[in-house]
Amino acid sequence: MNRAVVVLILALMGCSFLLVNSQQRTRQLFIEKNRLEIQQRKLNQEWNRLEYEQRELSRSSRIIDIAKKQLHMNDAKQDKTIYLKEKE
Amino acid sequence: MRTARPLPSSELVLRLPMWRSRVVLFLMFAAFCTLIVRAFWIQGVGNDFYAEKGNRVKRVIELNSIRGRILDRNGAILATSLEAKTVIAYPDIVPDDLEKSKILAFAKLLGMSEAELRKKLGESRSQLYLRRQIEPDVAAKIKALEIPGITITSEYRRYYPEGESVAHVVGFTNVEDMGQEGMELSNNALLTGKSGQRNVVIDRLGRVVDDLGGYIPSKNGEDLYLSIDSKIQSIAYQEVKKAVEKHHAKAGGAVVLDAVTGEVLALANWPSYDPNHRGNLTGEQLRNRVLTDTFEPGSTMKPITIALALEKGIVTPNTMMPIGHLQIGKKVITDTHPYGVLSVAQIIQKSSNIGTSRIALQMEPEDMWGMFQAVGFGQAPKLGFPGAVAGLVKPYDKWGKLDQASMSYGYSISTSLFQIAKAYTIFVRDGELATLSMKKIDKPTIGVPVISQKVAAQVRVMMESVTQEGGTAVKAQVDGYRVGGKTGTAHKSNGKKGYSSNRYEAFFAGIAPISSPRIVVAVVIDEPSVGGYYGGDVAAPVFSAVTGSALRTLNIAPDANSTQLVQSNAIQPVNFQR
Repeated sequence: MNRAVVVLILALMGCSFLLVNSQQRTRQLFIEKNRLEIQQRKLNQEWNRLEYEQRELSRSSRIIDIAKKQLHMNDAKQDKTIYLKEKE
Repeated sequence: MRTARPLPSSELVLRLPMWRSRVVLFLMFAAFCTLIVRAFWIQGVGNDFYAEKGNRVKRVIELNSIRGRILDRNGAILATSLEAKTVIAYPDIVPDDLEKSKILAFAKLLGMSEAELRKKLGESRSQLYLRRQIEPDVAAKIKALEIPGITITSEYRRYYPEGESVAHVVGFTNVEDMGQEGMELSNNALLTGKSGQRNVVIDRLGRVVDDLGGYIPSKNGEDLYLSIDSKIQSIAYQEVKKAVEKHHAKAGGAVVLDAVTGEVLALANWPSYDPNHRGNLTGEQLRNRVLTDTFEPGSTMKPITIALALEKGIVTPNTMMPIGHLQIGKKVITDTHPYGVLSVAQIIQKSSNIGTSRIALQMEPEDMWGMFQAVGFGQAPKLGFPGAVAGLVKPYDKWGKLDQASMSYGYSISTSLFQIAKAYTIFVRDGELATLSMKKIDKPTIGVPVISQKVAAQVRVMMESVTQEGGTAVKAQVDGYRVGGKTGTAHKSNGKKGYSSNRYEAFFAGIAPISSPRIVVAVVIDEPSVGGYYGGDVAAPVFSAVTGSALRTLNIAPDANSTQLVQSNAIQPVNFQR
């Protein structure tokens, strides 16, 4: 009888420690998850910003402007163009 | 020997006074009572204090949603939301004796005067927005000032990388992220996301440690793909702008349609504005003229009138019409040059008002009215675009002879440039009027038959002759491609006083390539005042430039004879090494 009580008390104490421990781990993991979520959001924003910047740099009006003014390029005239027929 | 006596120690215990145990019992009872009273106090009467302590670790977190992007047909971004910071002040908390240097620096970063800032901080409000949507680096500098009672939160701000060239189509949003103009307005519901929330527990470091349930996820807005091709759009905008500047005109517009799929490839207006910096915008800049301005389309109407006459069998392309002199009531119909006899095809090529009127007068007003309705005049195009106008077509039972004649060459009737372009899709689609869309579509829209395939082909030939030697718009020619179209030069109406003698609208509306039609391009230049005013001189060059680049962008093979077509396997590889 007495021995059973002792075993149960030990088991109870063991469980309590495990409970506290797992609670602690849950919170740690939860914090980690939140941190990563925030990081994900920030990276997404960064991605959007870079995408926007790329778009702004690759605007056709900007490219045409640079090609004509800085690189002195011209539209290809028809007599200088050879068109290839696609093989059927 | 009797040993029945109790042990001395037991005797001692028994002899202890009873009051001692009573005291112990009482003390224990009292202690429990105290605990009960305390517990009662904490949970009942004194609850507020602890409830507040408890709430401090509970938080409701708003989950922001992001407005959907707007992209062109190839996925190029036309509008996107990026994070921006908002400066919020709690005037009660901001100390009154803030150092002057700090106030000055703060005011400068906010872009307001010191007095203005002091007035705002003096307001008796618990919270106010000092400035919304500032750049992240400015926000960082404000944060570095460490002024108590000033916080910075994140919001989203809309950016438009293409700027002014596509401003009228895309539109813009206000500071609350709601669409105000253009597609931003008409598709606001689709683009707007739904913000969510979370109930959480935080620890003393402010970290979220637990969820309390009641989680509502945020939903970002959906992306919107427009039918616009930003390359063609950009070229159309530049060309219109160039022509307006060259001819000192008031305004201009151009529209490019893929008549086969029914998509709007470009829709450009000048003057325009930069949607990223919208200070001092005028109505002139904001107007999407292509869709919202109506005018009398002038001679661009003639192909439609002639198509009806051919359809009704009143004339054939080769029917010879005496032109001469035409007077209806008091009004004399005039041509720019006197003509004796012209074929129907030549009437289009030379743009004869008298010839067109003579043909129109042989038709029933009801038939002409029906034709105008069928090609979409007098009805606002169903584009899902704010402010698209219907134009005006008088009911046919109110037409006189003069009305009928003048309508045949584009007066006494009003349309938008977009409606003209839409009407011209009948010549591209072998007689079918295209249903148009501003959004990218997967399969071509269904058209509505208006004229026969044969008539559409006949009118195409006439339209091509307009751009050839002897026509009114040689300047509309496109290197390598066969194109056709019709010029228009309309005197602007002076309201009730009749027509202005020196204010014009110059038009050109055309189709390309003729051998296998695909696109419609329509151009208007409003009040050109220098270097000519005829549609053939002012609008046709814009048509030529826009059509050329649109055809190349769409990868359409040249159909003019001059082009060199070579089998791909016949080409020798070129060595680019130097």
